[in-house]
Formats: sequence, structure tokens, C-alpha cells
Amino acid sequence: MPPDSRFVPLEVKPDTTPIMIKHFTSSLSKFLSVVTLFFLISFTGQSQSIPEDAASISAGQTLFNGNCKSCHKVHQQSVGPALKNVYERAPSIDWIKGWIRNSAKVVASGDEYGVKIFEEYKKSQMTAFTNFSDEQIMNILAYIQAETKKGPDTATAPATGAPAAGAETGGGLPANYLNVILIGMVLILVLLVIILGFLISSLKRFLDQKNLSEEDREVVHSPITASTISRSRGFIFIVTFLVAALGFKAVINGLYSVGIQQGYAPKQPIAFSHKLHAGDYEIDCKYCHTGVMKGKSATIPSVNICMNCHRAVKTESPQIQKIWQAADWNAETLSFGPNQKPIEWVRIHNLPDLAYFNHAQHVNVGGVACQTCHGPIETMDVVRQYSLLTMGWCIDCHRKTDINSKGNAYYDRLVELHNSSKPGTNMKVEDNGGLECSKCHY
Amino acid sequence: MQVIKRLIIGFAGTALLASCGAGGDDQGTEYAPNMYHSVAYEPYTQITDKEAGRWVTSIEYVRDSSETNFSDHAEYHNSNYINPFHMNMRLPAPNTVSRNKSGYLPYRLKKDSLQFAAATLVSPLDTAAANAKAILADGKVLYETYCDHCHGAKGEGDGKVADKYAGVANLKGDAIKGVSEGHIFHVITMGKGLMQPHGSQVSPEDRWKIARYVKSLQAAK
Repeated sequence: MPPDSRFVPLEVKPDTTPIMIKHFTSSLSKFLSVVTLFFLISFTGQSQSIPEDAASISAGQTLFNGNCKSCHKVHQQSVGPALKNVYERAPSIDWIKGWIRNSAKVVASGDEYGVKIFEEYKKSQMTAFTNFSDEQIMNILAYIQAETKKGPDTATAPATGAPAAGAETGGGLPANYLNVILIGMVLILVLLVIILGFLISSLKRFLDQKNLSEEDREVVHSPITASTISRSRGFIFIVTFLVAALGFKAVINGLYSVGIQQGYAPKQPIAFSHKLHAGDYEIDCKYCHTGVMKGKSATIPSVNICMNCHRAVKTESPQIQKIWQAADWNAETLSFGPNQKPIEWVRIHNLPDLAYFNHAQHVNVGGVACQTCHGPIETMDVVRQYSLLTMGWCIDCHRKTDINSKGNAYYDRLVELHNSSKPGTNMKVEDNGGLECSKCHY
Repeated sequence: MQVIKRLIIGFAGTALLASCGAGGDDQGTEYAPNMYHSVAYEPYTQITDKEAGRWVTSIEYVRDSSETNFSDHAEYHNSNYINPFHMNMRLPAPNTVSRNKSGYLPYRLKKDSLQFAAATLVSPLDTAAANAKAILADGKVLYETYCDHCHGAKGEGDGKVADKYAGVANLKGDAIKGVSEGHIFHVITMGKGLMQPHGSQVSPEDRWKIARYVKSLQAAK
């Protein structure tokens, strides 16, 4: 097969084409029509080999989604090339079949077009689909042809963006309106007070000019004024009491906040968002914090775990570039270099040295969810310490929580003993020594 | 006036106390700070400043200003100058074999030995029917932890991350449907194509369990 045999279908029916060409070349003025017809014929010629019926296209769509979609899109370059027009671009339909079944063999045979593609896509080899029948491959091509004719789906991108923006403004407006209305009402009330004050003073002046009896004068100039109230013993007592009580509460709150780091949310060297990773993309906490089921520490993920995705995802971001620098990643050779340096994450949760805590015991054995202590971590862009991490907080949970004894033979006898000594109650952590000093302090 | 002065003093006092609480970059005031700062090396705490916490340091260490002598450090200093970057953790020595209860030895096949691995590796997991269910249940949990955000709950390559990370394989696709458990084990350990090696995250036993579960996914309609 010659390397450039893209007009193979023309060879299939050689009897019609020369006549047509002869016929049309007789008139130079119809040169353009020749060109258009030439392409039309070549196109229909190929269409004869690629089926166009709906059944083939839908069968092809199923096959495409099942096997090709992860690396190929029809209109966009993905891992592999965009497949639009591939049946016209590739040397021949047979070439496509050979490539799909075993691209490595095609490249190894030194095929010019194959080697060119292999080089262009950084020598990443396409998975070999050895079991595809001719019919299946033709169905896939039928689907690609149908999609090519349909053209890129431009309508979807703005359509998905628009409702989101609409929802945002829709959610924000009522709150703003409420605030505006509240501020307006407060302003009106203040104005009313001022106007009333003016009214009172002018009324007083008006009444002073008249000859009033002694009793009426007392009504106008009441001995109980703002200054007499503020000097009264009762008022001073109430104010002092309120100030003292509030001050005392503030002092107590302040004293209790000493040594408690709840709410601590330091800026990290890389702006990693748990909301994006654990929330939006639903990556399991344990995927990165691998130690949580096995040891004391949940472990801060090592850089190679970031690089599992971020060698390809969002590589243009300056935050990702920091990961690349830490890993000394070379995007050209796709390898890690020798000049790796640790990322200095800031530790948030820190127990005093005198307390022992083990993640595996709580998460693996106890079946406690991460969120129980760390809060809604999947909604946090910047992680903050959610819990108090005080001893009282630990003890409280140990008093309230049932032991996760289901399917754990270690607890069988203990549960039996507990049920005989305290029938009708669940075995709590405190029943198994959860309040013993030496469980955590040793 | 006297009252106002007292009030101001009182408010200043409460404001001062309120600043003891943590928030943002502020860790808050520590009660008995010596207790928060471990004397022993802590893996995820590293304070390289020799002078940190001098104000609570009561022990008179030998004073020596040389670069490598850290014996004069103050209370909070927690850093091992022998290690690279003065880290408290260090990697195990090369070729260290970790002990494990199943006696798994390190996986020594290279990344490009996929065909060999697929043909020769046999799952060491029990094939007895009694344990099959438990192994599959474990495998499902592990699959949901390590795999399904890319490969999808049913293995069809439609996990949420696959939207961003093109090239996620459909485990039920014709090219992968028939692979052996050894093939899956090797790919998890060493990676293949765009998939990166996950050997550092998943223990060998867990990898075999995932392989068993993936086979059951592939068999499911």
C-alpha cells in the first residue's frame, strides 16, 4: 500500500471518474464545478465504505464511549488527536484498522504517517484493541463521521455557564435588598426621633410664652429629666451591673481561649483547597492521607501523590508550579530530578506533647468519620481547626460514643461481659477504659 | 471621670484577653507552651530557629556558636541538623525491606515488564469461597478510596476527576476487560500510560484485593 493512498475509493470505481473528468475538462469555465464535484465524488466514494445508517452510528457511539472516549474527542485534542475527519486524514481505512488493532506494530514497521503521529504525541502508545472486528471499527468510524458532520457542539458551554451565574445573582440580591431596607428603616426612625425632639422644644418654648398655672408649668418642666435619671442610684446600679457582668463574661471567655487553637487557619505555602479536591471532585480523604488507617498520623501527602494528577491537570497554575519545583519535575523528559525539596506545610492540629492520639484507632477501628473531628473539611478552601481539641472535648466524645464492636472479634467477650454487668445499655468507650488517664497520658 | 477611666481599663483588659483566641494566621496564646513543644523529634513539627522559645528556656545548655552545634538551642527548637533540610523525618535507607504480617517482599519488576507480570503473577489471596466475599468487600472499600474518583464507581472511566484528567481508562473497555489480576497489580504498582504509580499509597495486599474487585466489576454487566 503506498503511503499516500487517501483516494482509495476512487480506485474502486475507475470506470466512472475518467469519463466525468473528460466531460468536464472540455469546458474551462466550469473548472470550479470540476473541483467541487471531484471532492463530492471522493467523499461519497468513501461514504460507501463507512456506513451511514442510524444503527451503525449508535453501535459506533456505544463502542466509542466505551473504548475511545477516555483518550479521544471528536472535535478537540485530548490525550490522543481529535478524530474529526480521521477517515480522510489517515492514509487509508485499512491503515486505521491496523493502527487500532496494534499501533505499536505500525510504528515498528516504519510507516511514515504512523511514526509521525507517534512522535507528535510524545511517544505515548495507543492501547491495542486486538479484538475489534472490521464491522466494529467501521461502526466507530460511522459515529465519528456523523459527529464530524454535526460540527463541534458550541451551544453547551455557554448554556452550562449561564444558569450558574443566574443562580449566583438570584441568591445574592434578596440579602442585599434586606440590608438596604433595614438601613432605610433605621434612618427613618432616627429622623423621626430628631423631628420629635424639635417638636418638643418648640412646644415648650410656645408654652413658656403663655401664662400657665403652677401645676401646668410642672407638667411642662418635669423634674424627671435625662440628667436626673442618669444620676439616680438605681440607674447607676443597673449600668454598673450590666457592664460588670458583660466584662466578667468577656474575661472568662478570654481566659478559656488561652491554649485553645480552635479557628486557627494559617496560610499554607501552596493554596490547596480541600473544597475543590474532597468536595467538588469527591476524592476520598484516604487517597492522599494514606496513613490514617494504619498509624498514629494521618500523614501529610507526599508530593508524588499530588503529581499523580498534577503532571497533567492545571499545570499552568502558579500553585501547581510550586509542586513541580518541589518535586523537581521535568515536563520535557517526564521525570523527577535530584533537586527535590520538601514543601513546608504549616501544621494546624497540634496536641500537647503529653497527650497521645492515634488516627488508626479512631478511624480504622472506631469507624469515626474524618468530619467528626475535622468538621466540614470538604467545604473548606482554607482548612481551619474545627474542634476544641481540649481534654474535655475528648472525654465528652468518649462518654457519648458507642464502641464500634460490629464485626470485630476482639470486642466479643467484652460486649458479653458488659451486657451481663450493665444489661440494656450500649458499651460506650468509657466502659472500655476510655477515661483511664494512662490511655492517653503515658 | 473616675468611672470612665475604670471602664476604659476594663475594656482594654477584655480586648487583651480576647486576642488570646486563635484565628487566621494567629495560633492564639498557648497555655504552658513548653508542653506543646516536644523535646523529642516530631515528624510533622519542625522549628529550625535555635532561639525559638528562649524566654521559657530554663536549662542552661552549653553555649557554642558553631554552625553544626545545636546543643545550645532553646526550648522550642525541634529540628535534626543531620538530615537533609534539617527535617525530623528521613527516608528509609535504600533497599530497605519493610516487615509485614503477610510476608510480602518488595516488588522488583520494572515498569516495562507489564506483559511478564500479567502472564506470571498470581494473586496470593485466598481463592476459597468462604473468604471470597470478605475479600471483595475489602476490595470495594479500597476501590472507592483509591480508584473510583477517576475510574468511576462501575469502572467505566467516568469518575469526577476524569473530566479534568483526560485519558482515564474504561476498565470495562474491550482492551482491558480480559486482563489478569497480575496485570492490574502491576499497573497499580507501577502505573501505565497516563496513570501514575500508586505503589506508595496502596499496600501490596490491598492492591491484590483491588485487582480482585476490579475483575468482579469487569464481569458485571
